Amino acid sequence: MDSQVLSIRGMTCAACAQRIEKTVRKLSGIGQATVNLASEKLFVEYDDSVVQLTAIKEAVAKIGYEVVEKTDNSSVTIPIGGMTCAACAQRVERAIKKVDGVTSASVNFATEKATVVYEPQKARLSSVREAIEKAGYKALEINKADAADEDRKRKQKEIRILWTKFIVSAMFSVPLLYIAMVPMIKVIRLPFPAGLDPMQFSLIYALAELMLVIPVIGVGYKFYTIGFKSLWQRSPNMDSLIAIGTTAAVLYSIYNTWQIAQGNFKAVEHLYFETAGVIITLILLGKTLEAVSKGRTSEAIKKLMGLAPKTAIIMQDGMEKEIPIDEVEIGDILVVKPGAKIPVDGTVLEGHTAIDESMLTGESMPVDKKAGDPVYTASLNTTGTIQFKAEKIGSDTALAQIIKLVEDAQGSKAPIAQMADIVSGYFVPVVSMIALLGGIVWYFATGGNLEFALTIFISILVIACPCALGLATPTAIMVGTGKGAENGILIKGGEALETAHKINTIIFDKTGTITEGKPAVTDVLPADGIEKEYLLRITASAEKGSEHPLGQAIVHGAENAGLKLLSVENFESLTGRGIEAKINGRAVLAGNRKLMDERGISLVTLENASDKLAGEGKTPMYVALDGKLSGIVAVADVVKQSSQAAIESLHKMGIEVAMITGDNKKTAAAIAKQVGIDRVLAEVLPQDKSNEVKKLQAEGRKVAMVGDGINDAPALAQADIGIAIGSGTDVAMESADIVLMRSDLMDVPTAIQLSKKTIRNIKQNLFWAFGYNVIGIPIAAGVLYLFGGPLLNPIFAAAAMSLSSVSVLTNALRLKRFKAATRKNREVST
Amino acid sequence: MIAVGAAVVIVAVLLTVIFKTAGGNLDVVGKESITSFESILKAVPDKVTADQTNAGWSLAAPDGSVRFIWSEDYSKSPLHDVMLEFDAEPFVNAGLDKSKLPKNYAAYDEMLMVGTKLGNNKLTYKGDPTPLAAYEQIVGKYRSSIGYHTALDHYNVNLGNGNLFEWAKDMKINKSTNENQDKDIVFVLNPEPLIAAGVNPDKVKGWVYTTVKVDIDGKPTDVYKFLKPFNLQ
Repeated sequence: MDSQVLSIRGMTCAACAQRIEKTVRKLSGIGQATVNLASEKLFVEYDDSVVQLTAIKEAVAKIGYEVVEKTDNSSVTIPIGGMTCAACAQRVERAIKKVDGVTSASVNFATEKATVVYEPQKARLSSVREAIEKAGYKALEINKADAADEDRKRKQKEIRILWTKFIVSAMFSVPLLYIAMVPMIKVIRLPFPAGLDPMQFSLIYALAELMLVIPVIGVGYKFYTIGFKSLWQRSPNMDSLIAIGTTAAVLYSIYNTWQIAQGNFKAVEHLYFETAGVIITLILLGKTLEAVSKGRTSEAIKKLMGLAPKTAIIMQDGMEKEIPIDEVEIGDILVVKPGAKIPVDGTVLEGHTAIDESMLTGESMPVDKKAGDPVYTASLNTTGTIQFKAEKIGSDTALAQIIKLVEDAQGSKAPIAQMADIVSGYFVPVVSMIALLGGIVWYFATGGNLEFALTIFISILVIACPCALGLATPTAIMVGTGKGAENGILIKGGEALETAHKINTIIFDKTGTITEGKPAVTDVLPADGIEKEYLLRITASAEKGSEHPLGQAIVHGAENAGLKLLSVENFESLTGRGIEAKINGRAVLAGNRKLMDERGISLVTLENASDKLAGEGKTPMYVALDGKLSGIVAVADVVKQSSQAAIESLHKMGIEVAMITGDNKKTAAAIAKQVGIDRVLAEVLPQDKSNEVKKLQAEGRKVAMVGDGINDAPALAQADIGIAIGSGTDVAMESADIVLMRSDLMDVPTAIQLSKKTIRNIKQNLFWAFGYNVIGIPIAAGVLYLFGGPLLNPIFAAAAMSLSSVSVLTNALRLKRFKAATRKNREVST
Repeated sequence: MIAVGAAVVIVAVLLTVIFKTAGGNLDVVGKESITSFESILKAVPDKVTADQTNAGWSLAAPDGSVRFIWSEDYSKSPLHDVMLEFDAEPFVNAGLDKSKLPKNYAAYDEMLMVGTKLGNNKLTYKGDPTPLAAYEQIVGKYRSSIGYHTALDHYNVNLGNGNLFEWAKDMKINKSTNENQDKDIVFVLNPEPLIAAGVNPDKVKGWVYTTVKVDIDGKPTDVYKFLKPFNLQ
């Protein structure tokens, strides 16, 4: 299955999103199709051998929506120096076109710019520039519009167009409303042109209203083109409701204008041009505010995108040269001076500095970097100049991966949205039926009062708001996941966000999660007849081939003690138990109690010492030489400063905290006691970690697993929510639902709090969106009027409808104020 | 572009149809008032006479108690250009002190006259002036003096200070109520100056003292009036 994210234009409400999803799902070979109304993106999984992407695009286009093409080709505008005539432009153009991979080139002599479209896989910008230079002209600084800018510009343009439409619409509908309302206002006498007196100049008055409403309809033409097209295709949307309602008002008013022209002046009392005009204006206002608010929901992504620097300093022939970021290639040697940002991911070759990685990890303390250390795009070099080798560029950088992860999450749907999706699918047809029924019932109930029936009909159509339903979930998810990213918490999707709030048990991996993961040798206890130094040396020599943190700690311990390691003849790692090696003809066995028991080695002589070490939270590593216990090398890991505070916070949230470790029970219990763990799962083999998760799940618990190592991956995948911490491995992060960019455990309660707040926000949004329609539609249908209350004017219905979407968006944007409630604890603890 | 073109064509066709329906005259109230006034004049030809004194024409009520007079030449009409002339007796009997009447009133020979001056210009006609042509001059040059009374489905000439002469748009049916039109012409007096001059409105005979809904600045308002309606059919 291939997957693609397509940008869709032309959607106006949840019904549109539903329609696109249904249309795409109908195609054969489609695995999944979800549309995010707020981000205007279609996520589609498809079988390339059954259905082509072009067929999907065509299907979407066929039902009236635009798929914004994202071509593989890149486009640049290169300013050219040295051209003196049109022939020069021709020459440059020919030279560029000759470059392999250039698909088109156009040189404008007047603007002195070349527009080049090329395949980045084949052509390099540097080769295009070389071609220009070879032709005898100067290729000046290149401006390459990036996708983020394009998207931002497109959205800004959309807002500008909507705003202009609203202004134009208001310019006509305000005077329209004025001349329609002033003659009816009895309380005060407002200035009114005598030539428009409806009783004196009825036809002129009606025509003036008609002339004022025409431009409003003109600027709101999309409501009609999309609305009626959708209606024609039997999948009406919000535009259909607006189109039907306002068309009914305008047609009835035109009929009455014709009546006036025939001499029936009383018809002047039955003009509803202002209703149509004001409805369109208010909806346009709502759409404008909606577009502005929608833009704000994706600010987190924009912020992330804005972090990357635009240029890099490259070392070429021993000289520093500033080049656009797009021209950096893997293997380039780049120079970063203090105060500058790291342009791409790589490894430090020379120099020493401290780099502020807070924009990526949220960690405020700069990290020391020296030769061999990795550096990441967009992090800030603070103190020294460094040279580093570019290793990951473009979409492969950590920043680009994070952006993609957040984008994918923002485009995903939460299960809680299902109800809104189902309702949205039936909403418009049902509302249309209610409106029709309401109109007919009132027509007969009022003895054939067509105006009254029409008012009811229009009000119901206009007050019904599928937009609010469609926006309720995705906007909150966008803001919630964006806010998470700002705090170094990458939530991989709406489902993870929703599940996280239900978590009642969290299992922490011990090593590297609760502890720093950097254990050190604390005690060396040799058995009788064995020298302490020898014990450490032979154990470290045996552990040299081990990748286990405990083994590495012993190797470091020996190195630090200045011991020369011995050569190993044979090495075998015994998963979850230890290692076995042969050194200088001696069989070396180092590991836990389980290993010793398996091999029948008695631990009696060092039993008390072992218990004492474990009681202190140290891990005793038994060492046997030639099948006989020869001593214990104890290793201890330091508990992270934030662990205790994080566990306290989780307890306050009513969450039970467990710790899982392969360590012995006593050591595990000691660590657990230190940080306040409720339940200890000790001596668990790596392959059994996921089973422990299963056991807890079988108790009916919603379990989150927090880990960092490869051996945690199955447990992370098994848990309802897998949380990988940032200092961990790629595999762990791949298996996780939530990735914490830094190793601070306080981010675990923060992630859960964010999830709880986001879900609460979604529920509030859904409540208002449903509640608004549940209350609004009966009022519009005249239920209050039935009991002596007022009848809702369609204009107020339009205002209320517009406000409903805006209020849902505004509520979602409140999440931007989310602050990690546990921050204070973190600060106290550090 | 096709859509814009189609929209322009639709709007143009729409406006043309409306304009054609209106007979090429956007002032349908003024135009229709002429037609209906002509019908009134034709309904009672014997009551339409020239009025030399006021340089115009008069339409008398069937009982002769009141006349609506409209000038054909405003440069010659001595007092008013549009006016009502009516018997003073019912009001005198009800307590009227003629000396207390305001300036727009004139009292002579047991008659009272109330009206307004529309202008002082000499009106010109194609051919000889006729009663209808003289009325058309009011519509053409003093359009704001012509009104439409929705509730009664009447046109009216505003005689100033709340005094009116009204006639039915259609002598058969009141289209506002879909009832038979029984008030083909109505002479309307503002009672306030008369009451101020001593008239007890309840004692005025031959006139109906009642509230009517009139449009004041486009707003329907209940006001007291002396009415003298007549069914001409």
